[in-house]
Amino acid sequence: MGPLAVLSHSSLSLAHLFLHKLQKQLVALINLLGDWAAFIGAVLILGLASSWYMIDSGTLLTTEREAPWVTWTSAGRIDADPYTRAHFARLGTLQLTTEIARSYIAYTDSDGEKLHSSCDYFIDGREPRTSWWSLTVFDKTGQLIANPVERYAFTSQSIAIRPNGTFTVTLAREARPGNWLPTGGAGRLALVFTTLDARAPVLTPQDGGGSALPEIRRIKCR
Amino acid sequence: MPIKLSDKLKNANWQLIIAAPVAAGILHICATYAAPYLTGASAYSRLAPALPLNKMHILRPVTPGKEPLPFLSPDARYAMCRFDTSQGPVKVSATLPPDAGWTLTVHSPHGDNLYAAASTPGRVTPVLIVLVPSSDRFLGVTPEARGVSRGTQPPLAVSATRGIVVVRGPNGAFAYRPRVLAGLKEAHCSGRTF
Repeated sequence: MGPLAVLSHSSLSLAHLFLHKLQKQLVALINLLGDWAAFIGAVLILGLASSWYMIDSGTLLTTEREAPWVTWTSAGRIDADPYTRAHFARLGTLQLTTEIARSYIAYTDSDGEKLHSSCDYFIDGREPRTSWWSLTVFDKTGQLIANPVERYAFTSQSIAIRPNGTFTVTLAREARPGNWLPTGGAGRLALVFTTLDARAPVLTPQDGGGSALPEIRRIKCR
Repeated sequence: MPIKLSDKLKNANWQLIIAAPVAAGILHICATYAAPYLTGASAYSRLAPALPLNKMHILRPVTPGKEPLPFLSPDARYAMCRFDTSQGPVKVSATLPPDAGWTLTVHSPHGDNLYAAASTPGRVTPVLIVLVPSSDRFLGVTPEARGVSRGTQPPLAVSATRGIVVVRGPNGAFAYRPRVLAGLKEAHCSGRTF
């Protein structure tokens, strides 16, 4: 083996060493970038998704629930928590403070199925002990549903109540006897049950047993 | 050769793993507090352009396609006053009839109820409030200080710079509607001086 062969072998080793170092540095850089990408992804998903969920749906800290009804416990209050503030700012509504009123909203029936205008529903309830209440049907964006009889809500002053204090409202596209609320072809629906006089809690059991929040029963779908 | 779990844990970047929930928490708090300011149209910004300043305005009945706000129930008629106390206090007066369902509320631009009153069945509820600026400012001498008797119950002072006063009258059966409208017309809102 001559000196030329030794030189060639040594330069090859140097090149190999350089490439090996470069490869190691590249792997380290890729690992670091991967770690940071995972970090940023996790922060965005955890931070934004949890915020969005707590603003949109609420939690036990901010809402009271009796399926399918949900009410935000500090709506409209000056000392409202930031989730409640953000929820109603996003909805774009002017809420009455929960010191004088409560609004319960339902997007599903009592079995958890989404309310839809292609289905008929019975809303069975008993008159709450509050001084005034109303039940209004909206489409899912909070707009009223146009109908020929121009009926969008029943209140404690306009609903027909049975002698025992109970009532049934029928939610249907076509006219129904009794307390009928037309739903037209609105698609997904939202029901809002509002009570004034927050001193008379609606979620606590009434004389007859259950709470005064109405039950929403699906009758049939087309 | 498969990488062992212990090797994976040993090689994990624990600084980033611990920092992730902390950073997510900070982002969660910032996003939640920023959300009201990032909404396209708050209730105040939707209503304000259509309401005269410091004057009570009775809104048309809420009907499909003419809803000033989402989820605004047509079970009531509304009178609203957009107020701005930067030029002086604003006096608000109303007489809530002895029927259930009437309310008078003062909302901040963020929707908080700065003041709320509800009617009591069987008893008339007079409401007299003065909206004063939130900032420290000399508002003039009160009638008592000037030796002038008010002759009426002194108004309740509510601190607010801008916002909307809402008087809500339950929209009963057809025969009751003139009565509801008369009740809303009783509500007044005007700039005043001490």
